[in-house]
Amino acid sequence: MVVKACTKCHRLMEEERCFICDLPSSINWSGLLIIIDPENSDIAKELHITLPGEYALRVR
Amino acid sequence: MEDGESENLIYAIRTLVGQEKNVAKMIARNVKNSGIEVNSILVPDTLRGYILVESSSKIDMQNPALKVPNIRGSVEGQISFEEIKSFLKPEPIIASIKKGSIVELISGPFKGERAKVVRIDESREEVVLELIEAAVPIPVTVKGDQIRIIQKEAD
Repeated sequence: MVVKACTKCHRLMEEERCFICDLPSSINWSGLLIIIDPENSDIAKELHITLPGEYALRVR
Repeated sequence: MEDGESENLIYAIRTLVGQEKNVAKMIARNVKNSGIEVNSILVPDTLRGYILVESSSKIDMQNPALKVPNIRGSVEGQISFEEIKSFLKPEPIIASIKKGSIVELISGPFKGERAKVVRIDESREEVVLELIEAAVPIPVTVKGDQIRIIQKEAD
Protein backbone atom coordinates (compact mmCIF):
# COMPACT_ATOMS: atom_id res chain seq x y z
CA MET A 1 0.00 0.00 0.00
CA VAL A 2 2.13 2.83 -1.31
CA VAL A 3 0.74 6.32 -0.98
CA LYS A 4 1.31 8.39 -4.09
CA ALA A 5 0.72 12.01 -4.93
CA CYS A 6 -0.68 13.56 -8.08
CA THR A 7 2.00 15.58 -9.82
CA LYS A 8 -0.46 18.34 -10.64
CA CYS A 9 -2.96 18.70 -7.78
CA HIS A 10 -0.70 17.08 -5.13
CA ARG A 11 -3.58 15.00 -3.78
CA LEU A 12 -2.49 11.80 -2.01
CA MET A 13 -3.87 8.50 -3.26
CA GLU A 14 -2.98 4.89 -3.76
CA GLU A 15 -3.97 4.70 -7.41
CA GLU A 16 -1.54 4.93 -10.29
CA ARG A 17 -3.44 7.81 -11.84
CA CYS A 18 -5.13 10.80 -10.28
CA PHE A 19 -8.87 10.47 -10.86
CA ILE A 20 -9.35 14.24 -10.98
CA CYS A 21 -6.46 15.29 -13.20
CA ASP A 22 -6.01 11.94 -14.99
CA LEU A 23 -2.26 12.23 -14.64
CA PRO A 24 0.17 9.60 -13.33
CA SER A 25 0.89 9.88 -9.62
CA SER A 26 4.34 9.94 -8.05
CA ILE A 27 5.79 8.12 -5.06
CA ASN A 28 8.33 10.90 -4.62
CA TRP A 29 6.56 13.43 -2.40
CA SER A 30 7.13 15.09 0.92
CA GLY A 31 5.26 17.16 3.46
CA LEU A 32 1.65 16.52 4.42
CA LEU A 33 -1.28 18.90 4.33
CA ILE A 34 -4.73 17.81 5.47
CA ILE A 35 -7.49 20.11 4.31
CA ILE A 36 -10.69 19.62 6.27
CA ASP A 37 -12.64 22.76 5.39
CA PRO A 38 -11.30 24.30 2.16
CA GLU A 39 -13.89 27.11 2.24
CA ASN A 40 -12.59 28.57 5.49
CA SER A 41 -8.93 27.65 5.25
CA ASP A 42 -6.39 30.32 4.31
CA ILE A 43 -3.86 27.61 3.48
CA ALA A 44 -6.27 25.99 1.00
CA LYS A 45 -6.91 29.38 -0.62
CA GLU A 46 -3.21 30.10 -0.90
CA LEU A 47 -2.63 26.79 -2.66
CA HIS A 48 -5.92 26.97 -4.65
CA ILE A 49 -7.26 23.78 -3.11
CA THR A 50 -11.02 23.42 -3.33
CA LEU A 51 -11.54 19.80 -2.26
CA PRO A 52 -10.98 18.46 1.24
CA GLY A 53 -8.47 15.66 1.60
CA GLU A 54 -4.82 14.90 2.07
CA TYR A 55 -2.20 16.62 -0.02
CA ALA A 56 1.57 16.58 -0.38
CA LEU A 57 3.50 19.82 -0.13
CA ARG A 58 6.13 18.87 -2.67
CA VAL A 59 5.83 16.33 -5.47
CA ARG A 60 8.44 15.41 -8.01
CA MET B 1 -17.65 33.90 13.11
CA GLU B 2 -18.93 33.09 9.65
CA ASP B 3 -18.18 36.45 8.10
CA GLY B 4 -16.43 35.97 4.76
CA GLU B 5 -13.14 37.45 5.91
CA SER B 6 -12.08 34.56 8.10
CA GLU B 7 -9.61 35.32 10.85
CA ASN B 8 -7.87 32.01 11.03
CA LEU B 9 -5.51 31.17 13.85
CA ILE B 10 -2.57 28.87 13.43
CA TYR B 11 -1.29 26.84 16.35
CA ALA B 12 1.73 24.63 16.67
CA ILE B 13 1.24 21.30 18.37
CA ARG B 14 4.23 19.40 19.66
CA THR B 15 4.37 15.73 18.74
CA LEU B 16 6.76 12.88 19.10
CA VAL B 17 9.43 13.20 16.42
CA GLY B 18 8.58 10.87 13.55
CA GLN B 19 4.90 10.66 14.46
CA GLU B 20 3.87 14.00 12.93
CA LYS B 21 1.91 12.49 10.05
CA ASN B 22 0.16 9.91 12.21
CA VAL B 23 -0.86 12.56 14.74
CA ALA B 24 -2.14 14.83 11.96
CA LYS B 25 -4.21 12.03 10.45
CA MET B 26 -5.67 11.10 13.82
CA ILE B 27 -6.56 14.70 14.63
CA ALA B 28 -8.15 15.09 11.19
CA ARG B 29 -10.28 12.00 11.79
CA ASN B 30 -11.32 13.10 15.28
CA VAL B 31 -12.10 16.63 14.21
CA LYS B 32 -14.54 15.51 11.53
CA ASN B 33 -16.64 13.69 14.12
CA SER B 34 -16.44 16.18 16.95
CA GLY B 35 -17.08 19.42 15.09
CA ILE B 36 -14.12 21.47 16.31
CA GLU B 37 -13.35 24.19 13.82
CA VAL B 38 -10.09 22.91 12.42
CA ASN B 39 -9.73 23.92 8.79
CA SER B 40 -6.46 22.32 7.91
CA ILE B 41 -3.42 20.59 9.36
CA LEU B 42 0.03 21.25 7.99
CA VAL B 43 2.94 18.85 8.46
CA PRO B 44 6.08 20.32 6.91
CA ASP B 45 8.99 17.92 6.55
CA THR B 46 11.41 20.56 7.70
CA LEU B 47 9.70 21.04 11.06
CA ARG B 48 10.46 17.94 13.07
CA GLY B 49 8.32 17.28 16.11
CA TYR B 50 5.64 19.85 15.34
CA ILE B 51 2.46 20.08 13.31
CA LEU B 52 0.60 23.27 12.47
CA VAL B 53 -3.17 23.39 12.94
CA GLU B 54 -5.27 26.08 11.29
CA SER B 55 -8.48 26.83 13.12
CA SER B 56 -11.10 29.55 13.06
CA SER B 57 -11.56 29.42 16.83
CA LYS B 58 -9.32 28.95 19.81
CA ILE B 59 -8.20 25.37 20.24
CA ASP B 60 -8.72 23.80 23.62
CA MET B 61 -6.07 21.15 24.14
CA GLN B 62 -8.28 19.53 26.76
CA ASN B 63 -10.86 18.66 24.12
CA PRO B 64 -11.24 14.87 23.86
CA ALA B 65 -10.83 15.06 20.09
CA LEU B 66 -7.28 16.30 20.63
CA LYS B 67 -6.43 13.55 23.08
CA VAL B 68 -4.30 11.70 20.59
CA PRO B 69 -1.35 9.48 21.44
CA ASN B 70 2.10 10.95 20.73
CA ILE B 71 1.01 14.54 21.31
CA ARG B 72 3.43 16.37 23.58
CA GLY B 73 1.39 19.51 24.22
CA SER B 74 0.92 22.71 22.30
CA VAL B 75 2.96 25.85 21.84
CA GLU B 76 1.62 28.98 23.51
CA GLY B 77 0.54 31.76 21.20
CA GLN B 78 -0.37 31.86 17.56
CA ILE B 79 1.55 31.91 14.34
CA SER B 80 0.77 34.42 11.61
CA PHE B 81 -0.10 33.21 8.14
CA GLU B 82 2.92 35.02 6.69
CA GLU B 83 5.22 32.89 8.80
CA ILE B 84 3.93 29.57 7.49
CA LYS B 85 3.93 30.63 3.83
CA SER B 86 7.47 29.37 3.43
CA PHE B 87 6.32 25.89 4.40
CA LEU B 88 3.61 25.85 1.76
CA LYS B 89 5.95 26.32 -1.17
CA PRO B 90 9.10 24.47 -0.14
CA GLU B 91 12.06 25.35 -2.27
CA PRO B 92 14.02 22.39 -3.57
CA ILE B 93 16.65 21.30 -1.06
CA ILE B 94 19.26 21.63 -3.75
CA ALA B 95 18.94 25.43 -3.76
CA SER B 96 20.36 25.65 -0.25
CA ILE B 97 23.32 23.33 -0.87
CA LYS B 98 26.69 24.75 -1.72
CA LYS B 99 29.83 23.14 -3.01
CA GLY B 100 31.75 21.89 0.01
CA SER B 101 28.68 21.41 2.20
CA ILE B 102 28.64 18.40 4.46
CA VAL B 103 25.53 16.27 3.95
CA GLU B 104 24.17 12.98 5.20
CA LEU B 105 22.64 10.45 2.87
CA ILE B 106 19.18 9.51 4.03
CA SER B 107 18.35 6.74 1.57
CA GLY B 108 19.98 4.41 -0.90
CA PRO B 109 22.93 2.06 -0.40
CA PHE B 110 24.97 4.69 1.43
CA LYS B 111 22.22 5.58 3.91
CA GLY B 112 23.65 7.13 7.06
CA GLU B 113 27.00 7.99 5.50
CA ARG B 114 28.32 11.52 5.54
CA ALA B 115 29.62 13.08 2.40
CA LYS B 116 30.98 16.29 0.99
CA VAL B 117 29.31 17.98 -1.97
CA VAL B 118 31.61 18.11 -4.98
CA ARG B 119 29.29 19.29 -7.74
CA ILE B 120 25.67 20.37 -8.04
CA ASP B 121 23.48 19.76 -11.08
CA GLU B 122 20.55 22.08 -10.52
CA SER B 123 18.64 21.28 -13.67
CA ARG B 124 18.46 17.56 -12.84
CA GLU B 125 18.29 18.11 -9.06
CA GLU B 126 21.32 15.91 -8.56
CA VAL B 127 24.45 16.32 -6.49
CA VAL B 128 27.80 14.63 -6.79
CA LEU B 129 29.18 13.64 -3.39
CA GLU B 130 32.36 12.23 -1.98
CA LEU B 131 31.95 9.98 1.02
CA ILE B 132 33.98 11.27 3.95
CA GLU B 133 34.70 7.96 5.59
CA ALA B 134 35.71 6.16 2.43
CA ALA B 135 39.44 5.47 2.16
CA VAL B 136 39.46 6.35 -1.52
CA PRO B 137 37.27 9.30 -2.56
CA ILE B 138 34.69 7.95 -4.97
CA PRO B 139 32.21 10.36 -6.52
CA VAL B 140 28.62 9.30 -5.92
CA THR B 141 25.72 10.92 -7.76
CA VAL B 142 22.43 11.09 -5.87
CA LYS B 143 19.09 12.89 -6.20
CA GLY B 144 18.61 16.04 -4.20
CA ASP B 145 15.98 14.54 -1.92
CA GLN B 146 18.23 11.72 -0.78
CA ILE B 147 20.42 13.97 1.32
CA ARG B 148 20.11 16.05 4.43
CA ILE B 149 22.31 19.05 5.09
CA ILE B 150 24.51 18.82 8.16
CA GLN B 151 26.81 21.75 7.59
CA LYS B 152 26.01 24.39 5.01
CA GLU B 153 29.35 26.08 4.55
CA ALA B 154 32.71 24.59 3.83
CA ASP B 155 35.24 25.02 6.63
